[in-house]
Amino acid sequence: MAPLQKRAWWGLITGMAFTIAFILVFFLMGSIEKFDRDITFRMIIDVLLIGGLVANLAIMNVPLKKPGMVDERDKIIIDRAPRVQWLAVVFTLVAWVIGLNEAYQETDLIPAVFLYVVFMSVLIVSTLAQCLGIIIGYWRMNRNA
Amino acid sequence: MPSITNRIRRLRFDHNEITQEELAERAGCTRQTIIALEQGKYVPSIELAFKIARVFGVKLEEVFQYEG
Repeated sequence: MAPLQKRAWWGLITGMAFTIAFILVFFLMGSIEKFDRDITFRMIIDVLLIGGLVANLAIMNVPLKKPGMVDERDKIIIDRAPRVQWLAVVFTLVAWVIGLNEAYQETDLIPAVFLYVVFMSVLIVSTLAQCLGIIIGYWRMNRNA
Repeated sequence: MPSITNRIRRLRFDHNEITQEELAERAGCTRQTIIALEQGKYVPSIELAFKIARVFGVKLEEVFQYEG
């Protein structure tokens, strides 16, 4: 397995772990209304979000700057990964738009806290999709010989 | 089937069974790229093709062949 491919798997596993922790905290600590009011709740989510992003940066970006870890074949795969990222982000945003619109259709007022939640979810999805895009890239390159 | 084939495996054998790792290091790529090249799963850039040919000390055409 190429160094970048290994990193992408680690990035995906770590990202999934943070995402599961993120969802668990939301389930265990309460609703979106509580998230809006409770500073402790928000701090835990903030720490998870920043921790996840820093972990992804450490896994995916920093070591790959070492010479010899990435070659031209890896760079082609890295360049193709944003296609998966773009699709994932667009589908996430579409899901949020439809979901929020339907949920708050009657009140005509979407709580401002959803701006934060939507932004967080897009960041998480984008990070996971980058790793997934790289893994798919290696799989397709090996398959389409 | 790829239209560009190569003789990297044969050339490694002819050059004292140079390892994939050593070839990769000298050509400036990863071992996985050499594996992909030998399996015909990747066509390299002109630059990498020249580097590989230079490692073996042969002309580019002796490593890569176009079968159009």
